[in-house]
Amino acid sequence: MNVWELIIQQPLTNVLIVISSVFGGNFGIAIILLTLLVNAALIPLTLSQIRSSKKMQDLQPKLAEIQKKYGKDRQKLAQEQMKLYKESGVKPAGCALTMIIQMPVWFALYQSIMLALAAVPEGLLNLSRYLYPWPVVYSSLPLNPYFLGMNLAQQNIIMAILVGVTMWIQQKMSATPSSDPRAASQSTMMVWMMPLIFTFFAMSFPSGLALYWVSSSIFRIVLQYRTSGWGSLRKSAITGIEPGKKYVKFDSPEPRKPAEKPRDEVIITDKESLKKSRKSSSRFSKFFKGEDEDMSDRNR
Amino acid sequence: MKLKKYRIAGLIALLVAAVLAIALFGFSCVSGLTPIGWSGGTVSDGVLYVGSLEGRLATINLADQSKIWAEPLKVEAQSGIFGCSASTGCAGGTARVSIYGTPVVSDNLVYVAGYNGKIYAYNTGNLAARWVFPREGYLNPFVGGIVVDNNKLFIGCSDGWIYALDASTGDLLYEYKTGDKIWGTPTVADNTLYIGSFDKKLYALNADDLTLKWSFITEGSIIAKPLVYNGVVYIGSFDRYLYALNASDGSLKWKFMAENWFWTQPVIIGDNIYAGCLDGVVYVLKADTGALVTELPLDSQVAAQPVVFENYIFFATHKGFIYKIDINSYAYTQIIAIEFNIDGPLTEYEGIIYIQTPDYSLQRIDASTGALLPSISLISG
Repeated sequence: MNVWELIIQQPLTNVLIVISSVFGGNFGIAIILLTLLVNAALIPLTLSQIRSSKKMQDLQPKLAEIQKKYGKDRQKLAQEQMKLYKESGVKPAGCALTMIIQMPVWFALYQSIMLALAAVPEGLLNLSRYLYPWPVVYSSLPLNPYFLGMNLAQQNIIMAILVGVTMWIQQKMSATPSSDPRAASQSTMMVWMMPLIFTFFAMSFPSGLALYWVSSSIFRIVLQYRTSGWGSLRKSAITGIEPGKKYVKFDSPEPRKPAEKPRDEVIITDKESLKKSRKSSSRFSKFFKGEDEDMSDRNR
Repeated sequence: MKLKKYRIAGLIALLVAAVLAIALFGFSCVSGLTPIGWSGGTVSDGVLYVGSLEGRLATINLADQSKIWAEPLKVEAQSGIFGCSASTGCAGGTARVSIYGTPVVSDNLVYVAGYNGKIYAYNTGNLAARWVFPREGYLNPFVGGIVVDNNKLFIGCSDGWIYALDASTGDLLYEYKTGDKIWGTPTVADNTLYIGSFDKKLYALNADDLTLKWSFITEGSIIAKPLVYNGVVYIGSFDRYLYALNASDGSLKWKFMAENWFWTQPVIIGDNIYAGCLDGVVYVLKADTGALVTELPLDSQVAAQPVVFENYIFFATHKGFIYKIDINSYAYTQIIAIEFNIDGPLTEYEGIIYIQTPDYSLQRIDASTGALLPSISLISG
């Protein structure tokens, strides 16, 4: 057993089996729980990635301005962009770096799920090498692959579609709209490409793996929503880039209503007004006390 | 110009996707996702029958090494884009059926069960198909082997059923449902069928009609083939125990705990039982009491069925090492290393040990000298 297997893969696999055993041998619940646990452990990294992405989104209007201003001078454009990034504390490579750091954990989780599924005889035999000497681990294998009526060791078209949909939502939420048509098209492609590729994989691999992808995407959707809202998923953010134009069209936000002044707040600007105000105020108080002059006259 | 830019962007995106895909399938590769098969061989009248990794039955005349091939087992319609299905796994789209059980020869017929969920009977002379069960459709994968007794064919299936067929015609005679998958091979002794299931039970069924005589529950799934000797059933379980049960009523005689699963059938020689375990140790126990005589640590998992030749018992390990144990002194030596994993059963015939290896060949080892003889190719055509 190599270091990777010993430190990462073996503990994860055994935890997965124990969780499954605790939940009556339900492997589906074990996959969901372990995915959530691992995601929870990675929250600091994920949050940093989301915030970085959010900052990038927020910078888009300024970037568009720079693009408009220095569109023809590429060197100046790059300089200004970097300056803006620096001033705003945004590291464009930050998102990618965080993702790279998280990747080994995703792989380990994927490996553990595939290992614990042990769908074929060779898999079960292989799994025996990774087991801790805990009675609960030995006795609960092989795991029951059925979850919500589907066999997690076989492909499932519904799960494959769910993988695509959840991944698309997540990708769309985190996509950074760009004023640069090239970057924008790249971003759009990624939004579609990744979900399509993973749907394709999910259609050909055990649905246990698809369950892991779906749980993971849902977790990130929730986290992203709580951190930065719906992001690019909101249609109102950017309506689109018009082909041939080097600027991004933003929807004008709904005109803000001027804040209404509280009814009891009176702003006095000069003595004349102050007098009037006092007079009116005294009339109002008299009215409410039943001492209004007009009313008195009518009574007479 | 713009078109070029879009192309570049597309290429970048494709590159990222490709890198991710490679990472997923390369870096995070998990072995044991694809069913390959590990059929052992059966020798009858100087002819060795083996289920090849190509998914077809092969016969090799051991005198002149001439071969005959049966038709490849048929694959169930595949689902999944990469050709992944219950019967073929994700074998890169290759349509071959894995064979795990060792072929069985009886009355001019040879039987083999495939991972495609079908049982086949062929004429021993020319491997012409005689019958197939079920005639229409497919059952769940067969992993365990076949036993033929008194013109009845017995087998356990991944669907949890034990089937008794007419060995001549393939007609279904009786069936019995267990609580989970069956990947183990049954044993018949004294008109009783013994078989373990993933439901953690060892079943003793009447071989006449598959009615239950008794069942014994362990703490783990059972895949090992039961050994019946002198009125005692020896069975290893995934709970790490080797059990000795009274064959008459299934009551516990003794049990012995190892450090991993018992996957293969033990062997009895004299008063001792030799049990290979996935913890990489061969345990030598007193057959009547279960007292540990000695333990022989090998290099890796022992999943392959051992063979006995003269005063030696031969074990193969997962890493491909072959050991011989002196049954008198318990001295053991590594006689040879094969560069392939060995998980399927060994076959011994006239002092030669035969092992099917993943390179589609049949390795031959001289049991007396330990010399590796030229292998026999199991590639058809």
